[in-house]
Amino acid sequence: MSNIVDDKVKTFDTRTEAKVPVESPLAYSYRRSGAPAPGKDSGAVLRERPFLGHLVLRGGAIVLDEALRSVLDMPLPGEPQGLVVDASGERSVQWISPDEWLLIVPGGEEFELENRLREALGDAHFAIANVGGGQTLLELEGAASSELLMKSVIYDVHPRHFPVGKAVTTVFAKTSVILRRPSEERWELVVRRSFADYVYRWLLDAGEEYAIGVER
Amino acid sequence: MSQPNRLARGGRLDRSRELSFTFNGKTYRGHPGDTLASALLANGVDIVNRSFKYSRPRGIVAAGAEEPNAVVQLGSTEAAQVPNVRATQQALFDGLEARSTNGWPNVQRDLMGVIGKLGGQFMPPGFYYKTFMAPASMWMTYEKYIRKSAGLGRSPMEKDPDIYDHFNRHCDVLVIGAGPAGLSAALAAGRSGALVILADEQEEMGGSLLDSRELLDERPADQWVAEAVEELAGLDNVLLLPRTTANGYHDHNFVTLHERRTEHLGETAPQKGGRRQVRSRLHRVRAGQVVLATGAHERPLVYGNNDVPGNLQAGAVSTYIRRYGVVPGNKLVLSTSNDHAYRAALDWAESGREVVAIADARAEPSGELVEQARAKGIRIIPGAAVLEARGQSRVTGARVARVDLEGFRVAGEAETLDCDTIASSGGYSPVIHLASHTGARPTWREDILGFVPNLVNGVQAAGGARGVYPTAEVLADGWAVGGQAAVATGFDAVEASLPQVAARQEGKPVALYQVPHEKPTLRGPKQFVDLQNDVTAAAIEVATREGFESIEHVKRYTAMGFGTDQGKLGNINGMAIAARFLGRSIPEVGTTVFRPNYTPVTFGAVVGRHCRELFDPERYTAMHQWHVEHGAEFEDVGQWKRPWYFPRRIEGRMESMREAVARECRAVREKVGILDASTLGKIDIQGPDAREFLGRVYTNKWAKLAPGRVRYGLMCKDDGMVMDDGTTSCLGENHFLMTTSTGGAAAVLEWLELWHQTEWPELEVYFNSVTDHWATMTVTGPEARKLLAEITDIDLDREAFKFMDWREGRMADVPARVFRISFTGELAYEINVQANYALHVWETLFAHGEKYELTPYGTETMHVLRAEKGFIIAGQDTDGSVTPEDLGMHWAIGYDKPFSWIGKRALTRPDTARTDRKQLVGLKPRDPKVVLEEGAQIVFDPDHAIPMPMKGHVTSSYYSPTLDSGFALAVVKGGQQRMGETVYLPMADGQVHEAEIVSPIFVDPKGERQNV
Repeated sequence: MSNIVDDKVKTFDTRTEAKVPVESPLAYSYRRSGAPAPGKDSGAVLRERPFLGHLVLRGGAIVLDEALRSVLDMPLPGEPQGLVVDASGERSVQWISPDEWLLIVPGGEEFELENRLREALGDAHFAIANVGGGQTLLELEGAASSELLMKSVIYDVHPRHFPVGKAVTTVFAKTSVILRRPSEERWELVVRRSFADYVYRWLLDAGEEYAIGVER
Repeated sequence: MSQPNRLARGGRLDRSRELSFTFNGKTYRGHPGDTLASALLANGVDIVNRSFKYSRPRGIVAAGAEEPNAVVQLGSTEAAQVPNVRATQQALFDGLEARSTNGWPNVQRDLMGVIGKLGGQFMPPGFYYKTFMAPASMWMTYEKYIRKSAGLGRSPMEKDPDIYDHFNRHCDVLVIGAGPAGLSAALAAGRSGALVILADEQEEMGGSLLDSRELLDERPADQWVAEAVEELAGLDNVLLLPRTTANGYHDHNFVTLHERRTEHLGETAPQKGGRRQVRSRLHRVRAGQVVLATGAHERPLVYGNNDVPGNLQAGAVSTYIRRYGVVPGNKLVLSTSNDHAYRAALDWAESGREVVAIADARAEPSGELVEQARAKGIRIIPGAAVLEARGQSRVTGARVARVDLEGFRVAGEAETLDCDTIASSGGYSPVIHLASHTGARPTWREDILGFVPNLVNGVQAAGGARGVYPTAEVLADGWAVGGQAAVATGFDAVEASLPQVAARQEGKPVALYQVPHEKPTLRGPKQFVDLQNDVTAAAIEVATREGFESIEHVKRYTAMGFGTDQGKLGNINGMAIAARFLGRSIPEVGTTVFRPNYTPVTFGAVVGRHCRELFDPERYTAMHQWHVEHGAEFEDVGQWKRPWYFPRRIEGRMESMREAVARECRAVREKVGILDASTLGKIDIQGPDAREFLGRVYTNKWAKLAPGRVRYGLMCKDDGMVMDDGTTSCLGENHFLMTTSTGGAAAVLEWLELWHQTEWPELEVYFNSVTDHWATMTVTGPEARKLLAEITDIDLDREAFKFMDWREGRMADVPARVFRISFTGELAYEINVQANYALHVWETLFAHGEKYELTPYGTETMHVLRAEKGFIIAGQDTDGSVTPEDLGMHWAIGYDKPFSWIGKRALTRPDTARTDRKQLVGLKPRDPKVVLEEGAQIVFDPDHAIPMPMKGHVTSSYYSPTLDSGFALAVVKGGQQRMGETVYLPMADGQVHEAEIVSPIFVDPKGERQNV
């Protein structure tokens, strides 16, 4: 559980192997607002990917890139607003700001990964923050997805401007989300836990005309 | 039912179907393709409103957005009410119900017209300023009656059943207007591959081509329109937005488009596929380039009684005949300054009705249209104009005479022509409203007698919008401008392919705005400039005589161009008239500024879906569901919903807030309570310079805080005033966890980044928000240790885990960091777990807590308990003018720290060292039953004459069940030196409360309880 890599920084595995109930950020929303089942005419389908490992990496691009390649065999995105997804599609790293990247991995991998990255980074100036309990990933698919996004985010989601492999932080209604395009068919939204219900209700409301459905 | 003015054929109507509608309670019929205005004209309805100020009967004068009179209220039910709809822009649908916004008891017999509104002639220009200026306090009363009698429409009093939304759009080229210029521009840009949006405000795209007499490629113009629209609709890089008005042009090519999606179908949006449809939509467009293809508005002539129903724009007459199959009268007199308006006479004659005469202000009219009129045997009176309309509720005649334009006088005997319709045209004004929204002033062009827009970067005008009028030239101009816009956004121009249009020979127009009359302007019949706001030429003369020489002053003095009209028909005439009175030229006088919105936008579209439960984000903690299920009342803290208190039903009765809070307070002081503190801001700070950085942003010292320990910190702005506070824990030598107030979380993170990025980039430190990652529950009270011991492996021994220590371990099988800090003054542990497990831990605490009477408490109890201990809340007990010294927190200031921390210098100013600053103290009301009002002002001498010198105010005040008394925190001038003195709090109801200045720490002054 507790593991001090060096005595300077205290890492902490916030997950438990014990069989205890665990609730995703949308648990309350499902109970409160329901989750309309997707149908044949659903132009948009929403799916939460709960309990993934989310790590924020801070530091210089070169050292972080080297560390990530050695530990995860993945590079950092080569340019701003870039998103790199590994071959399995289960691990991704995206540019957030000039010294900030978001690494998303299958749930449970993040603590060991953090420790290995810290080891690889050694004395470099960097920081890693585990934020997995604080945000969740929503997948959005369907023919009307981009129209639904146009109702919600101010960023231009036209494929000419938002190709596969791009990721941005943008205004979503009256909050903000991270918006990513890992593939032609799929959009991803990374949403902060406390705003997740607002985003969920907004998407259901704005998606009504496209018969939005929620996969659970 | 007959439609007396409906032609047997012609018009873009579906005559196979009839639609029924009512206007002012009477039922009429029309066809799909009609506007409300064309259907009213077809049914011979002359009077559609009463005027704003003089209550004169008014009819329809225009066919588009520029209509000043036919502004109606729609809706058959209260919830469906829509004000300020122009009948000329409202498509007819079956069951439409419309009313005049003005006229009482009705527009036909208007009582106010007899007695005069608010005294009729006693309402001169400048009336508002002169009459209602004083007393200012009465304005609200006056305004209510003025609005009612002015008839400006009203909003619905019931909930709108419809939904609305916003769309964020981005494109390379936005083309506004789908007439010949806009269609041509869209084709040029669309074929180049650019992303194009083409927006047009009308029911059909095509603009002037829909009622044109001209042939394109030797076919009727509308055939080319149909082909162009079809091609554009087939391009997937082009978006067509019909029924969409560009209402505002904002900075950086940000344009708001108002799309009316279902307003042509019914008064509420019909369902589609069993689902609600969006009634109207605001498109927020960010365009690379904008093409303004907004065309031109015809300028009416200003002559006597030009407002009597039956006076129309010449172009509108053609539009009604050719597009809607309606001829709005029987006998026409046309008064014109140009060739183009002859279309009205030709169309009128061709529809089989009588053209009495054309009064042409030019001495020698010539040109193709003039010759066509001559060939039809229509009488043309050269050098003449209509001086005055005859008739009350409908035109019965026109007085026509020769006029001397140079000398501004009538040059011959007037003859009265028998007619029921007068059409007028004084030329054309480019529609420059959107260009004007950018702040760029337009330029007067004498050759076209109109203002053309000056344009900011990224905007171009095409066709009529910049004074290019012949159809062939308009098409070519649109193509060129559309192509340039595409090139400017990185696409290659494509070769032009435009239809052939025969060039038409036209005579030169003359400048005519106000028509002279035998009598001087002030004594003659009213000559209306702005019909919507009832502004006459005489009013403008009065304004200039009274010294209002700037056109902006003339506008405000007369109300010309105000409101929903925005000067579409009247402004240029008004400027020309002001120029004549002032002896200046039109460019010297200049224009007023046209403002957004071009035409009214409904509140629904403005609001979109940002309403009701989506009005603002509500942030929830991981335990929110539990709070809801346990009956919490919530308080908004920032955007968070925090439990305020948890009222219980006791013996069949729900507790009051005061009872619930007293119970919760006692539980914490005597047993154990639990608070959801997840909303506190949490910032993870890592890096070798983290400790140094903390020392610079906090007032107190951080050099010696050891791992495992926690410290309270106070943060100042650079002006030395307290901005936030909280505890920061040392997790490792280079690793800290900072907490902030709930409301201050984002601001503090930005503050840290600001100083790091701009002032101390050399410090190796990173900040990451982990607020949402951790859920926090505060377990506090004498029984807290016993309760936690049941579910944790952490050693809670008072020596092993001291006050201001933190430890990690498991809590209900979940990894937890536990901080022994106290905001209540009692033994307290703040448990932090990953938020996904929080509800489990919370519920486990309750499962074990029953025997200790574990009581959930909310923010109100938290406030009472912390105030009893004199703990401040930044933003409540501080207001940006309070220093740490003022708070008596000298112990939290490290003046001798080696590096100058933020706020230190400001705290050495003489002003911050004054001994009579407002300082934090406790207040004990003399009457323990009194709970002082927060914000109440404090005086030292209650007998002092008013105004009394204010000496301070109450910042926090509650009833304390522990003290069984009201108590308060306050800031009082020099308060720290006034312990034991009595102060007075005069209240609005005349009571004066007395209170004693005491220490702000009311409970456990030695702090023993938190250390147990």
